[in-house]
Amino acid sequence: MLKVEHVTKYYGENKAVDDLSFQVEDGKIFGLLGVNGAGKTTTFRMIIGLLEPTEGKITLDGKPIDYSVTDTIGFLTEERSLLTKLTVKEQIIYYGTLKGMNEKEILKRLDEWLERFHIKEYKDRKIKELSKGNQQKVQFISAVINNPKLLILDEPFSGLDPINVEMFMEAIREFKKRGSSIIFSSHRMEHVEMFCENLVILVKGKSVLEGELKQIKKDYRKKNIHIKGNVDLDALRKTKGVLEVIENASEIIVKIEEDSYIEKVFDVVKKGSDITEFSVEDPTLNEIFLSKVGETYEK
Amino acid sequence: MKNKLKFLTKQSLDKKIKTKWFKGVNILLLVLFVLIMNIDRVIAVFGGDFENQITVYVKDDVNIYDSFAPAFEEVAGSLGEAKNFKLEKTEEDIESLKSSLENEKEKIVVHILPDEQNYMKAQIFSYDEVGTITTQLISMSVNSVKSSVAASASGLSNEQILALTSPVEIETILTNPDVENKEGQDIVAAGVMLVFILPCFFLIIMLVQMIGAEVNDEKSTRSMEIIISNVPPKVHFLSKIFASTAFVVLQGLLLVLYGGIALIVRNVLGGAGLAAVSGEVTGQLGEILSLVKDTGVFSLLLQGLPIILVLFILSFIAYAIVAGVLASMTTSIEDFQQLQTPIMLIILVGYYLAIMAVQFDGSLFIEIASYIPMLSFLVSPVLFMLGQISIWQMLLSTGIMTVFTWFIFRYGLRIYKVGILNYSSSKLWKKMFKSLKQK
Repeated sequence: MLKVEHVTKYYGENKAVDDLSFQVEDGKIFGLLGVNGAGKTTTFRMIIGLLEPTEGKITLDGKPIDYSVTDTIGFLTEERSLLTKLTVKEQIIYYGTLKGMNEKEILKRLDEWLERFHIKEYKDRKIKELSKGNQQKVQFISAVINNPKLLILDEPFSGLDPINVEMFMEAIREFKKRGSSIIFSSHRMEHVEMFCENLVILVKGKSVLEGELKQIKKDYRKKNIHIKGNVDLDALRKTKGVLEVIENASEIIVKIEEDSYIEKVFDVVKKGSDITEFSVEDPTLNEIFLSKVGETYEK
Repeated sequence: MKNKLKFLTKQSLDKKIKTKWFKGVNILLLVLFVLIMNIDRVIAVFGGDFENQITVYVKDDVNIYDSFAPAFEEVAGSLGEAKNFKLEKTEEDIESLKSSLENEKEKIVVHILPDEQNYMKAQIFSYDEVGTITTQLISMSVNSVKSSVAASASGLSNEQILALTSPVEIETILTNPDVENKEGQDIVAAGVMLVFILPCFFLIIMLVQMIGAEVNDEKSTRSMEIIISNVPPKVHFLSKIFASTAFVVLQGLLLVLYGGIALIVRNVLGGAGLAAVSGEVTGQLGEILSLVKDTGVFSLLLQGLPIILVLFILSFIAYAIVAGVLASMTTSIEDFQQLQTPIMLIILVGYYLAIMAVQFDGSLFIEIASYIPMLSFLVSPVLFMLGQISIWQMLLSTGIMTVFTWFIFRYGLRIYKVGILNYSSSKLWKKMFKSLKQK
């Protein structure tokens, strides 16, 4: 289990991370969210031991993270951290050996991963010759080649098409099943929603929202009502508790302040015609994120 | 962690030597070595006017041809031009000789005439421009004969003339019994040492540039983060130092090998034939070695060689440390190229001081420079070979270099730790000075 306890990090006068605490249990996926510059990368760098926290402590299974445990960690950086002049095979041997593995074991696992990601033919190709998506696959393999106990994924789906995203998701789920602790960061909220049981949203290094995703959504008072049929939109907009009415091609979405206003909206809808749907849903993580961060989220 | 250091060192070394470029450059170096060593033969293969034999017709009005001919041959031989000139006596009148020169570039007429005041004088007739060597050759031969004629006219016997024209023998006797007579040793010694340090000069330039490129490559691709999350910066730094030092030592040995091959090729091209190559090489090398041995340079070199090698390797390591630290501070290879300029100048200063040591015998300034780390490996061995410093003084230079290398590694590592994960050039120097205080 990874434990981050009251961690603060200063860069000179600038506080990059402010009293951050969370824990990732074995077999769980944890989301670390925030806009650019929120402190995610600094937090990741502290977890893998590249930076020392100014205050607080980080432990993995109760031990401080140092070079005696880094062999059990896998890290996928947001930028391509590959030596592009090497071949795929050389690159994976390089990073695998740094994880304390022997070449035979590395090559065995590499073949399995290349087969799984359908890039077997690129084994002896130089990384710079690969497409962005295939480079990302190689980077993913380099992060998981040691079957890590703690897997840190910073924007893992960057540059991938939907089919390959699904392929990665499947692989990540497998690590979860094996009991690895996974920390995940993404700008794509739908990915976070699909994966993370727990999350933290960072704003300027400080946690503004944390906890179990289900509970966060439940606690979030605003709801969305999806309606299909002919409804008086002006009447809906004038209804108490309605924040916004969005008219799409196939449906109308009514955003309300809280549960108690559902009935009032329903009263207006009842007066309409051809109503085929009236459903109340929790807000999306994207909405919660935007409301907490208070600015447009960069995709 | 030892295995990871070994792996990183091997990886870094492989990156340098297991490339097409390394192989290509080394093939090119071998070809260049062979070409340089055989440049005279290459020039000869392409030919030119220099190949043509010049016939010198001598019209002798003073009756000295019998003395002139051997004098001419002797001078031509001493100038290495014996094959290029042919001497012939002529009785033709000067006007017909002059007209026979029309369009003849390989024909010269020398007319030796009596002179009342100076015994004799000479005229050279040529259709085209007369080369410097030709003029010099004729002038030296005529003057040589003139001395003999003048001595003979003074009534001196042949023995007296011979004694008068023979070179004066000069013997140097040193009155200090503790000082050996090492005549000619300084030039030979300096020559031997400069042959050693010139490749070192180039190797260090290569070393500095390679470390810069490698560290910047790892930084710019962010693979540095993955590497440093698995191995401590100290191990990473050491791997770069070991790999680059091993590379320059290997490249240095290859250069020595290329020199040997070039020498063998020279003998083969010289027409000796493969069977005779071994003997010829031995002969030629033997000549060089005997010169080195006769002047006492060989024993001096053997005496100082272990220390010189240690000093060289320590200097490679020190330059690798400095290059690594500077590379860690920069965020692109362009920045590093600017930052490496002072290193290049330091090496250049050392190289010039080493060359100037021959000219400025006993210079205190150069002796002090021989103790200064980063310069000492270029200056100290040359001064030792010149006999200007003792082996103990060279040992002192090595000691200073050892302490200096340890010192820059200790403090350089502090900068390296911070520098390799720094991607911003903002407040760079402040950050680096601050890092010096962190343990």
